[in-house]
Amino acid sequence: MTEFFQTLVSGLSLGSIYALIALGYTMVYGIAKMLNFAHGDIIMVGAYAVITTVMISEAIPGIVAVVISVIVCVVLGVTIEFFAYRPLRKAPSLTVLITAIGVSYLLQNLALLIFGSEQKSFKLDFFDMIKPIYIGKVYINGITFLTLVVTVIIMIALTLFINKTRLGKAMRAVSEDKEAAELMGINVNRTITLTFAIGSALAAVASIFYGGAYTYIRPTTGSMPGIKAFTAAVFGGIGSIPGAMLGGILLGVIEKFAENAISQWSNAIVFVVLVIVLVVKPTGLLGKKINEKV
Amino acid sequence: MKITENSRFFTRDRITLLIISVIFLLASLLLYTDNLSRQTTNMLIPISCYIVLAVSLNLVVGLLGELSLGHAGFMSVGLFSGCLVSIALEGVLPMAARLPLSMLIGGIFAAVVGLIVGLPALRLRGDYLAIVTLACGEIIKDIINNLKITGGALGLNTLPIYSKPVELLPFAIVLVFLTVIIAMNLKHSRHGRAITAIRDNRIAAEASGINVTYYKLLVFVIAAFFAGMAGVLYGHSYSNVKSVLFDYNMSIEILVIVVLGGMGSVRGSVIAAILLRALPEALRAVADIRMLLYSVLLIAIMLLNASPKFAELRGRLSVRNLIQFFKDRRKQRSSADGKEAN
Amino acid sequence: MKSMTRIVSVLLVLLVSVAAFAGCGKTGGTIADPVPDKDGNITLLIGGIGALTGDYAVYGTAVKNGCQLAIDEINEAGGINGLKLALDFQDSQGIAENAVNAYGNLIDKGMVISLGGVMSTETASIVAAAKDDGIFILTPSGSAKSCIEGNDNAFRLCFNDPQQGTASANFIADNSLAKKVAVFYQSDLDYSVGLYENFKKQCAERGIEIVVENSFTESNSTDFSTQINAIKSSEAELVFIPIYAAEAATFLTQARSAELNDVTFFGCDGIDGILEKIDKNDTAIVEGLMMLTPFAADSKEPDVVAFVEKYKTAFGAAPNQFAADGYDAIYTIKAAIEKAGFSKDNVKDFQKGLVAAMTQIEVDGVTGTMKWTADGENNKDAMALVFRNGVAVAFEK
Repeated sequence: MTEFFQTLVSGLSLGSIYALIALGYTMVYGIAKMLNFAHGDIIMVGAYAVITTVMISEAIPGIVAVVISVIVCVVLGVTIEFFAYRPLRKAPSLTVLITAIGVSYLLQNLALLIFGSEQKSFKLDFFDMIKPIYIGKVYINGITFLTLVVTVIIMIALTLFINKTRLGKAMRAVSEDKEAAELMGINVNRTITLTFAIGSALAAVASIFYGGAYTYIRPTTGSMPGIKAFTAAVFGGIGSIPGAMLGGILLGVIEKFAENAISQWSNAIVFVVLVIVLVVKPTGLLGKKINEKV
Repeated sequence: MKITENSRFFTRDRITLLIISVIFLLASLLLYTDNLSRQTTNMLIPISCYIVLAVSLNLVVGLLGELSLGHAGFMSVGLFSGCLVSIALEGVLPMAARLPLSMLIGGIFAAVVGLIVGLPALRLRGDYLAIVTLACGEIIKDIINNLKITGGALGLNTLPIYSKPVELLPFAIVLVFLTVIIAMNLKHSRHGRAITAIRDNRIAAEASGINVTYYKLLVFVIAAFFAGMAGVLYGHSYSNVKSVLFDYNMSIEILVIVVLGGMGSVRGSVIAAILLRALPEALRAVADIRMLLYSVLLIAIMLLNASPKFAELRGRLSVRNLIQFFKDRRKQRSSADGKEAN
Repeated sequence: MKSMTRIVSVLLVLLVSVAAFAGCGKTGGTIADPVPDKDGNITLLIGGIGALTGDYAVYGTAVKNGCQLAIDEINEAGGINGLKLALDFQDSQGIAENAVNAYGNLIDKGMVISLGGVMSTETASIVAAAKDDGIFILTPSGSAKSCIEGNDNAFRLCFNDPQQGTASANFIADNSLAKKVAVFYQSDLDYSVGLYENFKKQCAERGIEIVVENSFTESNSTDFSTQINAIKSSEAELVFIPIYAAEAATFLTQARSAELNDVTFFGCDGIDGILEKIDKNDTAIVEGLMMLTPFAADSKEPDVVAFVEKYKTAFGAAPNQFAADGYDAIYTIKAAIEKAGFSKDNVKDFQKGLVAAMTQIEVDGVTGTMKWTADGENNKDAMALVFRNGVAVAFEK
């Protein structure tokens, strides 16, 4: 029984990180209608931003490194959107996707050149302050607890932002119909830039928890979690914020239980889930059906 | 346009075939007279395989307009099934019969898997389809890695069927020509036009009575078939092959070839495959920034292609237009000369 | 018009294939004996292939440095019977296809002795081509059993994966380190699976019970919490980790932070170099980690002390087992050349002579005393190291 709950905790830990990344995916996909393949790599950049800051001086408190990481990611996300994605707003999805793959490889290889392929140890002072808890024999890492709490807070904040603010309303309008939104006086480009900024900030937050939980990072760190988080976003229903949360947690738990049962197949199982979800229910658990326009 | 193209002897396709023939003739000539360096010799077979992979993926990406990120997976299905057959037949059949047979069987296995993966293609398009093919490629990799018969993580020992580039080159040449000719014929056939119609406007194509399901599956199956054949050839040129090599990074490398060569262009795929596989070896010093360069090129090409200004510029600067331009100039001049003479 | 295209294409195919088949009788040719330069000196080009960049650079660089050190020593002492040595070490980034290309490049440059590849994958990818060339191979560290199989000219300096797996189980049993063990391995890595399978077999023989078997794949190599949990809730006293240093660093760091403390971690030669993978201030992570290896840098043997000193002076760090393998490989080649009686004036049947000499020599190197069998394996002993205060020291009960 201990093992069951312990696996569940691991699943929740991984799942909440997937959820954080998936929130970024679902925002960008839901509003800009593009698969930002490079989203996972922004996480990697965020993590490197943290360790570089900490490396410059030991005296810099962890929270400053976090802020710097968020700023770096937001600037990066907005820059990528401006230079690579904005010119392709009317291009076919194939073109956009290939460009996004190109951006993803560009980030990975830049990181490879700058930081080398060796893994780097990721450390932040405030993670050590949260002491692990034992519930019975079940061990809960401080980071796991913090990740879950922060993910839930971000989810609620995002939902409120989308539903209650003017900017959120603009985002929903752009998501429904770009041209109509433009006619209503909404600046579509600015709205999409804002979406990318929020998505990238979320990626930075995800990078901190990812690095904290898994202790090492390397240039390819972001790509697999990125793909899996996209699965999570689709699982929950793309465009739906609670959906991304639900999808992320479910996927993380599935992956960890699969790993516990038959470890060499766990990756394949996650991908089988992905194929089944996409083929059987592409609208996801909480998504709505989008009608195709001619 | 069609008619004028056909009425000339050097059509685009024939020029492509001619280019490939010249390259292979030159390679064989140098190889069989022992004038080719070992490094180049060793690259002949992998490059041929990449040509076949790129041309076949181009059918999916360029012709059908869907993104497949699982091409390396199809290749590995063909590789492992074909090489297992070849190992079993080793000593039973001479290589001239064994290799084509195992290539055919590998191709068929890959085609069957292509059919299975292609089935979701009936429901999905664009980003979702791309992700599903990526997932399928990774699942294939994990399955082969966990099978006993393929040697699992230790890899399949292909030493019994290993052949030198000298022996494999004729088969590679035939495979490349087969792939290129079939790709060209498919492109220009009735089927090819139907597939292009699906790419350009699926709903309109469906309304015109084109069987979208059938054609989508057809393209997936043909592409997988050739990827599988290339895989078998690839397997014969190494003494040990592991499934982990055929991950989505490899699929993306093939995609890079297709995109850099020009989506839909057979000739472009061939040339890009040769250049992209040979250049890093020729310039080992830049090996570190190879992938960086690829990614920059990938983004640049996509952005330029989407930019209307560039399209206009390119239209003006195309070889055909330049020739036309000079012809016109000459005509003008000769008529001017004629006038002067008068 | 269409039939015309077809005829032209068929003709072209035929033409090219005929041209190709025409020369088919020719073989790649065997490696020629070394030739003297214009001054009558002979320099033997030794070709090495390994990752000098990328994820596995730590192994390739170490082997290269070890080889270079030995070659410089030999050349300074006047060479081998007047024969000089030269090293060309090519970067493969650990990728098989690159290794094959690098091998071709080395042959083009006139390589007469091959060091195979640093990793098994690299060695395996060139071993078939090398067989056709008839070139002598001595791989310093390609440990998969299959990577030199089927080539009578190929030998290895390290012990092979089955030997390591078996030796590990024996060592654990002999020193009664544990009765119940857990195994944590990488299921898509040949090295790891090879060790694991033989370890398992030998455990059954020696009455060691494997209570947990856990694995991961390359794409899942960031989060080991499930595996750590499973080990924690088992009764394992020792965890056998036949994996590479980078993953071992991740695993141990996560295991420590999950408070998995009351077990011994036990790895093999892949663990070597782990100190470079962890944060310098965090050597507590590897405290008590055991490693089965033929080489200990803190050994009191005079030849090892001398080697370590020289290596430190030349490269600024203590050598690991891979550097020692490279160093010993060159001295093994020297012994074989001497045994075969080659000199500046006699290099006839060079490859055959080396292969024949290999089974007759006994080398007392920094990684132990070695004698080779015709299938390319040697019989050196393994010893165990244990990490204490960030240094690997010989294990004493």
